[in-house]
Amino acid sequence: MNDQPTPPVERIGTRTTLQKLLSRFHFGITLFAVALSGLTILLAGVTALRGYADRNMELAAQLGAYGVEPALVFNDPQAAREGLEPLTRIPGIARLRVLNDVGRPVTEWTSPAADPAPMLTRIFFPHPFAVTVQRNGSAIGTIEVWGDSSTLIDYVRLGLLAGLGCLLVTAFGTVFLARRFEYELVKPLNEIATVAHDVRLHRRFDKRVQPLGIAELDRLGGDINALLDELQGWQGHMESERAILAHRASHDPLTAMPNRAAFDEQLALHIEAAEARGSRFALLFIDADNFKAANDNFGHAAGDAVLVALSARIKETLRKGDFAARIGGDEFIVIIDPLDSETRAENLAGRIRGSVAEPVLLPGGETYRAAVSIGVATFPDHGRNATALLTAADAAMYADKLTSRSR
Amino acid sequence: MLASLFLIGTLFATPPMSAQAASQTVVEDDAGGMTRAVNRMVGGIVSYARWPDAAPASGRIMCVVGTPRLTDRMTPDLPGPGAITVRQTTAAAVTPECDILFLGRMPVGDRRQLIAWVRGRPILTITDDDAACLYGAMFCLNSRAASLSFSVNLDAIGRGPLRIDPRVLRIGRGEGGA
Repeated sequence: MNDQPTPPVERIGTRTTLQKLLSRFHFGITLFAVALSGLTILLAGVTALRGYADRNMELAAQLGAYGVEPALVFNDPQAAREGLEPLTRIPGIARLRVLNDVGRPVTEWTSPAADPAPMLTRIFFPHPFAVTVQRNGSAIGTIEVWGDSSTLIDYVRLGLLAGLGCLLVTAFGTVFLARRFEYELVKPLNEIATVAHDVRLHRRFDKRVQPLGIAELDRLGGDINALLDELQGWQGHMESERAILAHRASHDPLTAMPNRAAFDEQLALHIEAAEARGSRFALLFIDADNFKAANDNFGHAAGDAVLVALSARIKETLRKGDFAARIGGDEFIVIIDPLDSETRAENLAGRIRGSVAEPVLLPGGETYRAAVSIGVATFPDHGRNATALLTAADAAMYADKLTSRSR
Repeated sequence: MLASLFLIGTLFATPPMSAQAASQTVVEDDAGGMTRAVNRMVGGIVSYARWPDAAPASGRIMCVVGTPRLTDRMTPDLPGPGAITVRQTTAAAVTPECDILFLGRMPVGDRRQLIAWVRGRPILTITDDDAACLYGAMFCLNSRAASLSFSVNLDAIGRGPLRIDPRVLRIGRGEGGA
């Protein structure tokens, strides 16, 4: 065994509950997933949208090229303006310009609507779309189309809104998952904790953790149960040990009768109970006559046999509820409780005398006829406390002894 | 579609009023500016015409009758490759071989006779001597200040088998068109 003391377990100042931990963990994971998928979708969407926007610009430029073609042939700015008119109604076009074959601007149009997000426009449409206007295979001019962000802004707005919605769903989902986890994980843990707490606080060693659904926790529960089994075994052993010790402390080893200490305790209890009830009880003080002589004549083993026989006969004569103790070498005492009108202590004393008078077979093969002197004291007639009662009973016993000697 | 409906509509309504001046070609302010502008405009008009035989505009024969007012060097400038053969002729010598008739200044009787003869034939008629475009030529060139314009006579186009690109009709019809 290691004699070194184990260092005290360090305690963490602030604690978090498992549910909070799980909730935070879930939120993190879900947020990450949502952000990742959202970003992917947004990127894919933006790429696709950019493709469409490019295509849109290109188609607009083609349409413009078709519209302004005769105007360029006839070098007619007014007609070119008219040719561009259908394009000015297409959303997402910021600026149009028509150049003739030598690169001089013929007409130009700028959208009256302000660009909602110039930065987006710079990212998506850094250059104008230029389409060469051809007539019979030769270039007669160029049309340039600048896009703006008005069509994209809706998508971005929608994307952001969807992202926000996802975030909300994430939050709710996290709460739901955390609840679920609380049910699945925290509940069994709590069960284990409850059992441990009960055992520690109320010494309920019979408590056991119920089988749990989660394998790891079930193993933990099983280990705790095994530990409790051991504890219960120790506890039982200790209790029986303690009972033996207590019995030893309160009983006489020879006759197995309660000893003086146990008698004092019993007497106090009986006085208390009789006082509370207003009832009566009797004390019989029994002393063996000429016991010293028996001891001397037949030896200590015979004396012990006589004492054992005496105690056995006294116990035989007692009724249920009466209490007998050996309080000295050859002194016994009996508490007769309750003492009702029919039960007379003197009668009981007579019965004890009769029973004791039967011959006792000694270890040496001889027989011995024992005799006892008995003094009776009654509560509350002869005293209201232990000392007074004992003194009274002792005195009565001596009186009885003198009488029997004179007999 | 709308343009052709408009054509049919104008056919029965007020024939003289269906021609309007609109196109405003800028003429460069030098010696050959007007000639270049006229040739470019005539070439452009010819390139937007479709003959029933579906052959391209290049190689067509243009017969010039009378004296053109706006230029004395009539060489239509077709956009893209190819050119138009130009023949100077008289009203009496006009044959169906001509794909395009350019009517310069000429006696009113000759003009009326030529317009009547053209009716129903796949011949494009252009004039520069009818600013209001009232005498039956399909396209009428008109010079004003430092600009050149053309008008379209939708009745005349509607009567003939030639098809003109509606974009050109739109330019020739000016603003407020369909």
